Amino acid sequence: MDIREKLKTGFLFLDGAMGTMLQQAGLRPGERPEMMSLTHPEAVEGIHRAYIESGADVVYTNTFGANAHKLAGTGHSVAEVIAASVGCAKRAARGTGCAVALDIGPIGELLAPVGTLPPETAYALFQEQVQAGVQAGAELITIETMSDLYEAKLALLAAKENSSLPVFVTMTFEENGRTFTGCCPSAATLTLEGLGADAIGVNCSLGPEKLRPIAEEFCRWSSLPVILKANAGLPDPQTGEYTVTPRQFAEEAAACAAAGIRILGGCCGTSPEFIRALRERIAGVEPVVREKRIPCAACSAERTVAIDGVRVIGERINPTGKKRFKQALQQGDIDYILAQGLSQIEAGAEILDVNVGLPGIDEPAMMEQVVRRLQAVCEAPLQLDSSSPQALERGLRAYSGKPVVNSVNGDPKVLATILPLVKKYGAAVVGLTLDASGIPPTPEGRLAIARRILSAALAEGIRREDVYIDCLTLTVSVDAAEASRTLESVKLVKRELGLKTVLGVSNVSFGLPAREQLNAAFLTLAMGSGLDLPIINPNAAAMMGAVAAYRVLAGQDAGAARYIATYPQFAQAGQPVAAALPAAGQPADRQLAAAAGASASPQALEAAIMSGLEAESRRLAGLLLQETEPVALAEGCLIPALDRVGERFEKGELFLPQLLQSAQAAQAAFDAVRDKIAEGGGASAQKGTLVIATVKGDIHDIGKNIVRVILENYGFRVIDLGRDVAPERVVEAVLEQDVRLVGLSALMTTTLPSMEETIRQLHARAPGCKIFVGGAVLTASYAQKIGADYYAKDAKRSVDIAREVLCANEPAQQEGDNGPAAK
Amino acid sequence: MAEPFSIDRGEVLRYLGLRGQEPDSGTAALLDRAAELLLEIARPRTVWRQFLLDEDAQGLFLPQTGLRLPGRSIRRHLCGCRSCLMMAATLGEEADRLLLRTQLKNMALAAVMDACMSAAIEDVCDRLGSEMRKAGALTSRFSPGYGDLPLALQQDMIRLLDTPRRIGLTLTGSCMLVPQKSVTALVGVLPEGTVIPPGQNRCAGCLMRGRCLYQGGKEGN
Repeated sequence: MDIREKLKTGFLFLDGAMGTMLQQAGLRPGERPEMMSLTHPEAVEGIHRAYIESGADVVYTNTFGANAHKLAGTGHSVAEVIAASVGCAKRAARGTGCAVALDIGPIGELLAPVGTLPPETAYALFQEQVQAGVQAGAELITIETMSDLYEAKLALLAAKENSSLPVFVTMTFEENGRTFTGCCPSAATLTLEGLGADAIGVNCSLGPEKLRPIAEEFCRWSSLPVILKANAGLPDPQTGEYTVTPRQFAEEAAACAAAGIRILGGCCGTSPEFIRALRERIAGVEPVVREKRIPCAACSAERTVAIDGVRVIGERINPTGKKRFKQALQQGDIDYILAQGLSQIEAGAEILDVNVGLPGIDEPAMMEQVVRRLQAVCEAPLQLDSSSPQALERGLRAYSGKPVVNSVNGDPKVLATILPLVKKYGAAVVGLTLDASGIPPTPEGRLAIARRILSAALAEGIRREDVYIDCLTLTVSVDAAEASRTLESVKLVKRELGLKTVLGVSNVSFGLPAREQLNAAFLTLAMGSGLDLPIINPNAAAMMGAVAAYRVLAGQDAGAARYIATYPQFAQAGQPVAAALPAAGQPADRQLAAAAGASASPQALEAAIMSGLEAESRRLAGLLLQETEPVALAEGCLIPALDRVGERFEKGELFLPQLLQSAQAAQAAFDAVRDKIAEGGGASAQKGTLVIATVKGDIHDIGKNIVRVILENYGFRVIDLGRDVAPERVVEAVLEQDVRLVGLSALMTTTLPSMEETIRQLHARAPGCKIFVGGAVLTASYAQKIGADYYAKDAKRSVDIAREVLCANEPAQQEGDNGPAAK
Repeated sequence: MAEPFSIDRGEVLRYLGLRGQEPDSGTAALLDRAAELLLEIARPRTVWRQFLLDEDAQGLFLPQTGLRLPGRSIRRHLCGCRSCLMMAATLGEEADRLLLRTQLKNMALAAVMDACMSAAIEDVCDRLGSEMRKAGALTSRFSPGYGDLPLALQQDMIRLLDTPRRIGLTLTGSCMLVPQKSVTALVGVLPEGTVIPPGQNRCAGCLMRGRCLYQGGKEGN
């Protein structure tokens, strides 16, 4: 049977549960079902035959968990199990016209960075299954029960890159319309269709009736045939029995067919009876032809942003002109970049532009890492911004969802390099209206390039809705006519091509004073001309104000509800905005009002730090720095204040939250000090560098992160290698940066051997380096036993150790069992 | 489906090292904020199943599955029980992500939130306990890694309960639960008429007994 042909019209019937049937055939709970293909092939073949006889057009092989990871310890290889399983299905299907689908389930471990399974390993596991399935003669690949959209993506890529078979992908949702990892149906649909699946949909978790709204959501966002492979309702927790009967199941599934679903089957709790009832019930039903108008959108796994009005793209993840950002890239300080992302989202950015290009760094590797880490903490879709095809491809491969690629231009070479990547990974793309001969001065010239970009994209198979055009903002200080040329171009592209438009706005005011006013005015004009996607700094209140106001005036904000919610501080109508607008994204300081006005003295600053008042500490430090040398302020006031907080913490007079709040307040003051030093052209004095890591196998890292915050507070440079860090990586970092102190943390007894191994390797390969260890299960004597130089019972103690090792003239205070472990 | 839960402030403060002291206003505000965020975002999920229990010369095992429960501590814990409940509970990946995000912006808030999460998962387990009581009178929970019950037993529990598919709970290669705020445990079903010994509590079999910061709080459950 040619599945792709069959998918074009009519219904396709899938089989029902395999596991439930195997249990009836004698499989014990907890045993690997796939082994039955080797030990009881006739039973597996019999199950397939029963499904085929009840009317299934496709049977799924008994290979749901046949990956090297789950088969470990069974004594059987993936190829062996898959060959046996596909064999069972093929024998049952011979001569019936039924297709045999290689079934692939989730690996069963969460991917890094949330879990620890490296994506490359996951891909290799799927690849092995696909190759074995193709070898064994499967006619179709079905990827099912996926919860993590990125895992589904890796499996789909493995299928597409290692076979030419049709691929079906279904994910598993809870009743709230989300998967366990937070993926929503629209994001699954946009992403999986973009990556080239032949059919997509939902399976497992609930009965057809409860899954219907989710499957309908799939229909709304996709032009592909949609699959529904539901459970026989919910199992009883105590007995594990399912409650829906075959008749009910068929009735509920028929309602789904009426909603436009054309591929139907059963999951847990169903049997051949269900498939027979389903087939009989659908026999007289006409398949529904769905309307195919897919909204224009970008998404992460958790959030879909439809471009159906003005959507703000945050521009701050970009090193251009930002000293601190460049430093973060050079030092691999990803947390700084993540914080930039979060603050933009708080300020109202809906998509984040990500540009990490900087001479001297490995941009492709950095792009991959930043995409992964950003996606672990923020839900906004990303726009991958690079001129390097390698960086774009690494970012696209690492991305979970449907991103935007920024950018291509009219140069045929660029189009030929980048568009295939955009197509392969199912992204949207920004086309700049320039080419090898520069930026056309006239709107018509820019339109011509936009046309060229669009037709190249269409020829590549990219959807029209996924092409966004950037007509380019030029500087008005050079030529005042530039602004109107850009605006005219936007209007023209909108009118002639109907495409979404993008503009980097701030460039317009380059070289002029009070830039924000010009930017905001230009932004308003551009939106009025048809700009959909302004790339701006969302932390600039005037810019976000222009967007909010435009939405109201353009009818994109019904009842001005969003506008009113954005400006609750002007609750009384008619109150002037004036300077009352807070800098967006700036958290209001709890007791700022109470403390405001305190006169600036070192005592007041110390009191503010002791009370954990961030904004007040920043304010007072700023005032004091007008008459005090920065270094003197740091050494004479900030450090002593921190020491006093530390002492009180040690005595049990203060607790961890207070210690950390004081640290954050001190950090705000230190930032002022650092800015002052930078103003004077000096380099900020760093006390020394150390490496910290949570050891291999351990993923609990909040303790280590707390230590990092406190150490940085004292001016130490901390290279944080993260969690689940292999001993070799710690050694490499130490040797590379010539570091004299390492902190290791472990929370579980089971990972202590891994800590011991790291210490062993460090002593062998970096003999001069001192090591301190900490974590819930450690004691001073155990620390000594595994060869650590120091035991740190808490964050305060790590500061003492760092001072002793890295600042020769500041010996650590020795005390009881917290003293150097090895002495 | 997401389970309801609450956050016991007293427990949170105890996890933060305060033993009966009143928190300062800053800490109290952090606690309010962390609890509010967590209640809004976390989606706890639970799953449990009942298994018969048997014993031979090698020790305890579950006859329906062939799974062995090695060690003396679990034998002592389930002494006299003819069946046991295997349970798993998680605060969900939503909570993990929330904590990750919070650490980037406000470490003081994150530290308090971490403690709130510990209190929350405890509450989810306690509520599940009430539900499971329909199986009979129960012992307290006993988790792999306590006493001499090997942590590696989690692999079998995860598989038997089908937790990745049922509640989104998985294990890493080194037997760590992900999402991080999760619990797997065994609970004995006591024969009818058994009086629960008053001294039994969840700390009894713990490796950290005697040097645990948190001991001395609630007894048993």
